[in-house]
Amino acid sequence: MSNRVDPNLIRELQEYGLKDASKCYNCGNCTAICDLSTPENPFPRKMVRYVQLGQKEKILKSPEPWLCYYCGDCSVRCPREADPGETMMVLRRYLTSLYDWTGFSKRFYTSEKFETMAVGAIGAFVGLGMIIWAIANWSMINWQHADVSSVWSTEGIEIADLVMAGILSFFLLTNLYRCVKLVLGDYFKKIPLKMYYDEMKYLLVQFATQKQFDGCKTKGNRARWIAHLAIMTGYASVFLLVVVFVNGLPFMGINFLKFQRGWESMGHVREISIFNPLRLIGYYSFFALMYGTSYVIWSRLKKTQPQFKNSHGTDWMFLILLQATAVTGILINLGHIFDLPFLTYAIYVIHMMVAIPMLVLEVPFAKWAHLAYRPVVLMLMKVKARYIAENENAEGAAELAPEVAV
Amino acid sequence: MDKKTAVYICTGCGIGEALDVDQLSTLATSECGAAICKNHASLCSPEGVQLIKDDIAGEGVNTLIIGACSQRVMYDVFNFEGAILDRVNLREQIVWTHPAKDEDTQMMAEDYLRMSGARMKAMLPPEPFKPEQELSRDILVVGGGVTGMTAALEAAKAGYNAVLVEQAEELGGFQKNVTQNVVFPFKEVQANEIGKLAAAVKNHEKIKVLTGSKLEKLAGGPCLFNATIKQNGSTSEHPIGAVVLAAGWRPYDAEKLDPRFGYGASANVVTNVQFEERAKSGAVTRPSDGGALKTVAFIQCAGQRDPQHLPYCSSICCFTALKQAIQVKQQDPGANVFVFYQEMRTPGQGEDFFRKAQNEGVIFVRAQTPEVLAGGSKLAVEAFDELLGDKILLDDVDLVVLATGMVPATAFGADYKAKQSDEDKKNDMIASVDSIYVSDILNLEYRQGPELPELKYGFPDSHFICFPYESRRTGIYPAGPVRRPMGVSSAIEDGTGAAMKAIQCVELTSNGMAVHPRAGDTSYPEFFMQRCTQCKRCTEECPFGAINEDEKGNPLPQPTRCRRCGVCMGACPERIISFKNYSVGMIGDMIKSINVPDEYDEKPRILVFCCENDAYPTLDMAGLRRMNYNAWVRIIPLRCLGSMNLVWIADSLSKGIDGIILLGCRHGENYQCHFIKGSELANIRLGKVKETLDRLALESDRVRFEDISITDYQKVPAMLDEFAEKLVEIGANPYKGF
Repeated sequence: MSNRVDPNLIRELQEYGLKDASKCYNCGNCTAICDLSTPENPFPRKMVRYVQLGQKEKILKSPEPWLCYYCGDCSVRCPREADPGETMMVLRRYLTSLYDWTGFSKRFYTSEKFETMAVGAIGAFVGLGMIIWAIANWSMINWQHADVSSVWSTEGIEIADLVMAGILSFFLLTNLYRCVKLVLGDYFKKIPLKMYYDEMKYLLVQFATQKQFDGCKTKGNRARWIAHLAIMTGYASVFLLVVVFVNGLPFMGINFLKFQRGWESMGHVREISIFNPLRLIGYYSFFALMYGTSYVIWSRLKKTQPQFKNSHGTDWMFLILLQATAVTGILINLGHIFDLPFLTYAIYVIHMMVAIPMLVLEVPFAKWAHLAYRPVVLMLMKVKARYIAENENAEGAAELAPEVAV
Repeated sequence: MDKKTAVYICTGCGIGEALDVDQLSTLATSECGAAICKNHASLCSPEGVQLIKDDIAGEGVNTLIIGACSQRVMYDVFNFEGAILDRVNLREQIVWTHPAKDEDTQMMAEDYLRMSGARMKAMLPPEPFKPEQELSRDILVVGGGVTGMTAALEAAKAGYNAVLVEQAEELGGFQKNVTQNVVFPFKEVQANEIGKLAAAVKNHEKIKVLTGSKLEKLAGGPCLFNATIKQNGSTSEHPIGAVVLAAGWRPYDAEKLDPRFGYGASANVVTNVQFEERAKSGAVTRPSDGGALKTVAFIQCAGQRDPQHLPYCSSICCFTALKQAIQVKQQDPGANVFVFYQEMRTPGQGEDFFRKAQNEGVIFVRAQTPEVLAGGSKLAVEAFDELLGDKILLDDVDLVVLATGMVPATAFGADYKAKQSDEDKKNDMIASVDSIYVSDILNLEYRQGPELPELKYGFPDSHFICFPYESRRTGIYPAGPVRRPMGVSSAIEDGTGAAMKAIQCVELTSNGMAVHPRAGDTSYPEFFMQRCTQCKRCTEECPFGAINEDEKGNPLPQPTRCRRCGVCMGACPERIISFKNYSVGMIGDMIKSINVPDEYDEKPRILVFCCENDAYPTLDMAGLRRMNYNAWVRIIPLRCLGSMNLVWIADSLSKGIDGIILLGCRHGENYQCHFIKGSELANIRLGKVKETLDRLALESDRVRFEDISITDYQKVPAMLDEFAEKLVEIGANPYKGF
């Protein structure tokens, strides 16, 4: 059965940022130079060929885009300046939109106008909601001291958090399910659940450390890995801090850690030791996020390395929202410290107007979805290799090996 | 000519230390009949040369034997007006290859001196050929395309009159119908500027442009050609010096293609030439209904590099496909353009153009046997993409363009020789070596056939690497796609090169000199007609068709067509063909002058007939590297092994020489012979000798042919040593001492 060529795919991908893939003459230097390419999952040459020949079905089933961390070696070495690294990046965007069954992601990626409108609309909706909520709660507002929970109750925020988390998880997990099914193909049904369970540790390690990222031995990659890790850990810890400790635990009646929101019950923020672990985590998060995002924004502006040369609209949106979230977050903290009620409340509204669109849009539908796809696909490849080694004879394994090695 | 011979022996470069020069001097004056014999420590120094010059002026010396280095070096230093000269290669072939102060080495030097003496006794100074007729210096260009126009213009610019014959009513050839092309430096598709070239040709006062004309007959030889040209029903005659053949090409007949290309199955399958015709009238559309082109597939190597069709690469189709693909893209950037290729061949800066097509978004599919599926109104192309490792299907194709190749104009028409025996064998373009197709282009009045012999695949080339623009007919220089497949850039270069060759030919011939490869040689073969038996061997075997014949079968040599190789001299059983300075008798005398010791001395003798173009320098190179080989050999350089006359073998064997080895160039496929067939003929003749030897109960292993190229110097000593061992095994020549 011949694979139908979809000549329009290459043009479709241009909307995701594809530029130079047609320049490729398939020499394979990119695959040869890549530290992460393996005989089982060789890339990027093969993926570029899929793009040139409009092989949408094959792309959809490919794990390779998630195995690439875009060190840019391939783009530097490419004799044709076909920028294979960027093609891999484009395919990650493309796959994110294909995994998403709602079709929302595709629109978000392919139209900057839609992207801006979506962020603006959600931000406006959140802002308006917060203000209405504040007005409804007007008499209770503490104007003497900065106390956010007097305006927006901890319980209310936590319930809203949970509702949002539920919805977002639903989208992210359903998309992830499609990803797993597509990437594994026939193996999806064959591989027993236990094997996935056995590799959970690997998944968690990859998720928390992105060890694979550090596998690229390119000069300068470590700095990028550190910046990436800073963004990831900064965000994860502040997420835990805000959603679990600041709001979550008080919601469950555990109040001893309530240091930021509760004025009345805890005493003044200033009175809490600077060495309080929660405070330290908060400051770490801020600095980590600021360092990570600034590093990337600066790199993208200066186009210092191949992977920063081409910036899609969604890349900028993500960075801007993330940095704005961090800045407004620290300002809320300062507002509490300096006890400036109005300013604190106003910034809180802005903080929510930035953070929520970012979470709603980026996590299940856009760039942040890779926090799930990458480690999961890595784990799937490990599971698949183990399954083949254990369950299939040598012939079967050979059959599975890609026909074109490079 | 009264000869006064002088022998000069150089003692430099180790000669003096290795040889007994006094003994050689005695030999020179006694056996070689030299009036003077002098030594000098450095004969090639100004003092050494002055020594010789003084003797020429003061003593009236006119015959010189210089025993020093090889004839291949210092030929400019040892060049004396009014004297005949022979060089004895004491350095490379004696002292550098054999032990010093050795009896065998000394015997070798003495023999070479004797041989040179014998040679000089028989040698006469050559007299350049001067025919009675007036010599023309005009250049005839056949074909008015890019190549022909360039050749005519370049010849005219160099001051020669050119006559340009073009069969069409207008100049321009194939390129006249090409609107856009791509030429050096292969960056962009550009407007074709053929019109400018045509105008320059038409306006040049030294070029006579004859459009709508045909070369009816071409008789004679260089500087003596008589061209009969028919134009508008009237014929005219033109004296011509040399000819540039730029007859161009025709596209391969697509009807003959394999059905998988789908030609004829749909109107939307066209050839690259048909695409060009469509592009001439503006935007290219779908042939079946004039619809816009959305998806176009180019299929390369349609009937090319395929033994069933054209076995060769036409070299331009990759460029053409890239150009046409870019044209489609420029017409509509949204169009999908796919090129199915086996190998992309865009050498040199052509790579930039390949890159340009990629940048325009053309997609390339490497596939060996793509198939066009022409079902109903829709076209599809199915192919195994080697870079994907899987089959792909490109459907909804609006246009398929097939890259058919170039066939030289000279490849059409019946085989001249086959025509005489088998009238039905027509239009077979790939024929055996040396075929001549009656393609009605030159209409030569040559005994050997009316057109140029092909080298391969109908291309009338000579040796395509060593001798560009040469054909096997002296003074006729093929250029452009008729010589080998090529595009506009190469054709311009070719036209210029061929014009240069034609000019050289006119200049040398009008001074009675030979053209390449013996450029400047003023000797030419003379026939002692009284003894001719009309065997026709000379006319048949001359590689350049230089000999016509009369109705009785007598040879009519055409000296201006001759390359002076001496193949006729080797062929003639009556030995009636000789040059003033090269003859059967002269070499025979050299053989006879060799001192052959008798059987009991256990010093066998080996005669080496050695081609002076490749084998002789190979032996010199062995000397340069101080390699040693057997001292029993005696080397006689020949103009070409093809000039070897069988009587020399008989002479040698009856003289008691134990073995004979012929060192010549490779023949047959990828031959290296400067005279195309010389070494092949020598080998054939040797085969006949071997039969005779066997009949006479003389071991046929005593004679041997070895082909040698210039890079074989490392093999040569072992080859000679092994032959010597073989001769020891066979035993002494029983004729020794008779």
